[in-house]
Amino acid sequence: MARDDLFTSPEGNWTPVSARLATARGLIASLVSLVLVAVSVALWLLLADLMDGWAWTLWAPGAIGIALATWVWWWAPRNRRSWGYAEAEDDFLVRGGILFRRLVVVPYGRMQFVDVTSGPLARAFGFATVTLHTASTSTAAAIPGVPLDEAARLRNRLTELGESHGAGV
Amino acid sequence: MAPASEAHRTHPLSALLQGLLWGAAIVAGLVWQVLDFDDPNWWALAAVPVGFVAGVVAGYVGWFFTRYVIDEQEIRIERGVLFKSSRRIPFERLQSVDINEPLVARLVGLAELTIEMAGGSESRTRLQFVTLAEARRLRRLLLARAHGSELAEGDPVPVEHRRILHVVPPDQVIIGTLLSLDFIVTVLAALGSLAFGLFTETGWAVLGVLIPAVWGVSQMILNRIVAQWNFTVSRGDRGLRIERGLLSRSSQTIPYDRVQGIAVVEPLIWRRFGWARLDVDVAGYGVVTDESGGISSTTLLPIAPRDAADRLVDVLIPDPERGHGDRVAPPPRSRLFAPIGWRFRWLGSTRSTVTTGTGWITRRRAIVPHHKVQSVEFSQGPLQRRLGLASVEVHTPDGPVSAAIPHLDALEARRVTFEQVERSRLARRSTAADVALGGGVEGADELAGVQPPLGQDDLLG
Repeated sequence: MARDDLFTSPEGNWTPVSARLATARGLIASLVSLVLVAVSVALWLLLADLMDGWAWTLWAPGAIGIALATWVWWWAPRNRRSWGYAEAEDDFLVRGGILFRRLVVVPYGRMQFVDVTSGPLARAFGFATVTLHTASTSTAAAIPGVPLDEAARLRNRLTELGESHGAGV
Repeated sequence: MAPASEAHRTHPLSALLQGLLWGAAIVAGLVWQVLDFDDPNWWALAAVPVGFVAGVVAGYVGWFFTRYVIDEQEIRIERGVLFKSSRRIPFERLQSVDINEPLVARLVGLAELTIEMAGGSESRTRLQFVTLAEARRLRRLLLARAHGSELAEGDPVPVEHRRILHVVPPDQVIIGTLLSLDFIVTVLAALGSLAFGLFTETGWAVLGVLIPAVWGVSQMILNRIVAQWNFTVSRGDRGLRIERGLLSRSSQTIPYDRVQGIAVVEPLIWRRFGWARLDVDVAGYGVVTDESGGISSTTLLPIAPRDAADRLVDVLIPDPERGHGDRVAPPPRSRLFAPIGWRFRWLGSTRSTVTTGTGWITRRRAIVPHHKVQSVEFSQGPLQRRLGLASVEVHTPDGPVSAAIPHLDALEARRVTFEQVERSRLARRSTAADVALGGGVEGADELAGVQPPLGQDDLLG
């Protein structure tokens, strides 16, 4: 059985998360790498003369920054594609992760509350993180990169389903 | 129905007790200050009366502004001078009610009432202090209300009949402690530090090593014996009751339908004698960090012969098919992750419960009723993927019970995951239709109406 089949449920349609999640992560990494490159340039200008022979080490932060940004641009789209959620008849399913893959099945009736959080940057890109909470903290099913209007719809829908399936603790 | 209920106050002696408790805490904190042999700080003792007086004043102010009200839906506790706080506990959210009698309070006939709600670290509410009789009356009332009874506040609450299920004799607690791994480790550590001290220190300085070593060991034994003295488990109409304690008494009541899971723990040495310990998951009790404790509110039975422990499990989570369900176990290739332990891991499922077994030094069985399962997780790491393995975890509310089985064959793990989801779904449906099936205890039909709502105001964001 292929990897994707292993993490696909027998029922329910899987919804992917916003492609802008990968773009946003890539941009953040690029910003960080720009800062690191700037640090390297500044160090070079200030200290290059003092470190005869070892001056090339001053470029290390910049090199690390560029490597990081490259890796994030490679990793983010893959990670983005691994995330998804599905509404089955009685349960909500969340999956995600590339290296460490995880699939959590949460019955609607077990949901205590649903969190929608988004920082300034995520809001600018128009997405939020939706987190489902049950009485167990190990559930913590977080879906990153859900478009804002979809996040609001999901929250209301899950609350509604939670009420109609309510099973207590 | 009761008329609008009036506000009650806690007992006026609470203030004095608060002072005594603060004073005692300061004495405990100062012991080492004063026992510093080279330069005893006797002046530090002056802090004791100061702490006592401050405690009395704080206790008095706290008492003066504390009120509790019980009406048809909830108990409300209001307190605070500058920062007013009012906590509402809807009866259907109530998970358990405990009565504690700390030694000082017990001497004057007072007790503390602890009420647990589901969820979060803030879910515990204490009412300090009321008379023991009032605490008992409140507990009966709260538990009756939690089960949907519409007793008015003034009405006499019927006294329930209790049947004792098991009493742990003190000598068994002592022997069990002496034979427990953590005790032996503590003794070895103490002996080690003592030997080290004898080589490096001379004269009176040896005392500085000897006292903490002896103190640590004896405190561990005494703590357990004192806390678990006369550990009694009994059953009544409203729930299971646990009473224990020599100096400070505590009495917990866990409604039957609030038991989320039970762990049967059999440590290495105990297994030779056929002894086991039982831990219980109740939403709100939370995680107990120290493994050594055995004094926490999640202990259902500190030590008992295995058949007695099994009988108690049968009372709380009845399952006629126990031990006869399908079992799955990790394949030999999971040896890489657990060279010895892999042989001792298994997951068994019947129509009403799921059971996992783990551990070869300390053997644990986690038993969770299907209708109490919170969520199910299926996961795979990079190394597991290479070996074609995956893990399954059945989530229960935070507590000592953890039903997980790592490193199953990937396809089997996937099958187990969705089977568990399906079994939980069926169990929830049949529980909603017929609570007696799920609860399976006397008075179960009273529980039918108890369903915590998931309201709009629970939602954030």
